[in-house]
Amino acid sequence: MENINEKFATIEKDLLAPVKWGKKSIIWMGFLMVTLVVCMFFYYQQIRNGLGVTGLNDFVSWGIYISNFVFFVAASLIGMLISSVLGLAGSKWIMPISRIAEIIAVSFAMVAGLIIISDMGRPDRLHHVFLHGRIQSPIIWDIAIVLTYVAVSVLLLYVPLIPDIALLSKKQNGLPRIQKWMYKILSLGWANHPNQYKLIKKYFKLLAVLIIPIALAIHTVTSWLFAMTLRAGWDSPIFGPYFVSGAFVAGCAAVTIGMYFFRTSYNLKSYITDYHFDKMGKLLVLVALVYVYFNINEIIVPAYKLKGGEAEHLKSMLFGHDALMFWLVQIGGLVLPFILLLFKKMRKPLPSLIISSVILLGAWFKRYLIVVPVQQHPYYPIQNVPDSFMHYTPTIAEIAITVASFVLFLIIATVLSKIFPIIPIWELKEEVKEQIQ
Amino acid sequence: MNKKFYILFTLVCLSFSLIAQESWEVIAEENDNLSIIMFDEELELSGQIIYDNSCKSCHGNPEKADFSKMLPEPGDIASESFQNQTDGSLHYKIRIGRGAMPKFEDALDSEEVWNLVAYIRSFNKNYIQKKPNLEGIVIPKFSLALSFDENIDKLVVKTIGDDNNPMSEVELKAYIKGSFGNYLLGKTLTNEMGIGYFNVDAKMPGDAEGKLEVIVKARKGYGSAKTMQKMIMVQPSTFESAIKGRHLWSTAKQAPIWLKVTFFFTIISIWLMILYVVFGLKKLKKYS
Repeated sequence: MENINEKFATIEKDLLAPVKWGKKSIIWMGFLMVTLVVCMFFYYQQIRNGLGVTGLNDFVSWGIYISNFVFFVAASLIGMLISSVLGLAGSKWIMPISRIAEIIAVSFAMVAGLIIISDMGRPDRLHHVFLHGRIQSPIIWDIAIVLTYVAVSVLLLYVPLIPDIALLSKKQNGLPRIQKWMYKILSLGWANHPNQYKLIKKYFKLLAVLIIPIALAIHTVTSWLFAMTLRAGWDSPIFGPYFVSGAFVAGCAAVTIGMYFFRTSYNLKSYITDYHFDKMGKLLVLVALVYVYFNINEIIVPAYKLKGGEAEHLKSMLFGHDALMFWLVQIGGLVLPFILLLFKKMRKPLPSLIISSVILLGAWFKRYLIVVPVQQHPYYPIQNVPDSFMHYTPTIAEIAITVASFVLFLIIATVLSKIFPIIPIWELKEEVKEQIQ
Repeated sequence: MNKKFYILFTLVCLSFSLIAQESWEVIAEENDNLSIIMFDEELELSGQIIYDNSCKSCHGNPEKADFSKMLPEPGDIASESFQNQTDGSLHYKIRIGRGAMPKFEDALDSEEVWNLVAYIRSFNKNYIQKKPNLEGIVIPKFSLALSFDENIDKLVVKTIGDDNNPMSEVELKAYIKGSFGNYLLGKTLTNEMGIGYFNVDAKMPGDAEGKLEVIVKARKGYGSAKTMQKMIMVQPSTFESAIKGRHLWSTAKQAPIWLKVTFFFTIISIWLMILYVVFGLKKLKKYS
């Protein structure tokens, strides 16, 4: 019994230690804030001068903002895969990393909504979407589902946090009073009562089931923003599953990167171990294979027939204007990394980090390839327009605003991981208890 | 080898530039051709409409010299190279075309080409229109009367001269006015009774009363006449708004019921479950 108490004490000590504002984290936050302010200056320019400050034009009206939006929604799906699908299927190994996955999901989902607003020339008319929106438009479905997804994701993060918040409220010293007060409110009078555990386990299960269709819906509807239009390259019935499978690849890579950074900077090497990286590497191989399968379908089926507009689009992808990026993304950002991950040595933390970073970078450019080149090959030929209309190059303002979205993501993720323990303490304790008994 | 290539290349280039500079000869008779109608603002305006539709893409905005980069250069219609030519020369070149300049004879009738000339001249303040010498030439005067024979589906055009007698040998052209251009019904000459017939396809879409707007242009020698008239000639068309009824492509208010039910049912049920959890969490306090 003493043994177990000692173990509990170590767990609490190790996992509560990062929950404070150290020098390093303040410098890191300061850096993020300064970057954000610099980037927001460009957003101010965009508000003042309109979307003219971007590289968007008559033909390519969806540029890196929308590509980035698709990427953010994609990466946010990982919370559902790890906590819900694997959790409900009874995988034990996901426990220490489930909260990381949920924090990444919530942060990406929250910023995704803002990215949409950054693509609007008149964000002051945002409410018009709700007042005058046509329910027949996938854009309305997307907005409804993004808001719902953020709400469910926040709850899915919050419900299993309650016991840990209560612990923080009780044990963590040296925090600002307002933070203490916040813990007290958020712990909802938690007293480690067995019925309380029963209750949150029940709610967690309900939310974990609920989030599966919602997460599938959010990314399927995002794919429908494209697939519901009559455009060569978007007009594809497999766009939903194609997007969802791609989302898991990006999400797994993001979680692996997150795991590495939390593990090293929060001193969690004995909690997030090589075993977890090994498991994540295997999961990444699985989802990458599914995604490769969808990629093959998405390209070979129209490429075999090469009809009309599809032909022009595919030719530019396979050996034309966008070929370099296309092959770098497909081979370098997807096929090669998953082949490397087949080797056990490559699933160690550092190689995992490098491979995942390449995959995540590839995933971002993959979204660019899905969104932008299609618009350069409309069915109705581009004629009698200035030369500049036929190409799309993002401007500095546009890049800065996109960088801002990543900075905002990092800020939300950092704050969440700094005010809450990144590994579920009570669940870990339960596991230790089970092991001893 | 290289030297030979360069010589050949230079020669090819030279020959091209020679073609470009070769002057465009216009036969004397055409060169002296004149419009018998005086150019006025109305003609200039109809000329401008034709110019904007058919000429601007190459010749650019007049006086701006923003014509397409081609060899030979299309040129600006306000420039001297255009204005120094005779009316007849412009009229001929537009009709016949050369190289990249299309032949407009089939697309525009003679009058429309004169309208274009009127528009081109409107950029020349020093221009004084030359009138054709009509001495000793009798200009026939006549009017047109239209009717529709529904038994044989024919448009009947009668030409009546000044003396109230029918006029034969008058060139007739009949069109149906469309939204984006005129549809040519046909060309014919009037018979001894001064009558010309045009076949009308009964399947043509009319307005709500079955009316079509007919344009008839007539010409004999230097005499011309034109008339426009709305006539009941075909079956009435019923126009229905493409977005009438509940469709995916209709307005927000006309959204399909099944879509509304599915959408709101899904979203509301999810939010009810969210609220169930949020309010359910209050129960935690009971055990504290």
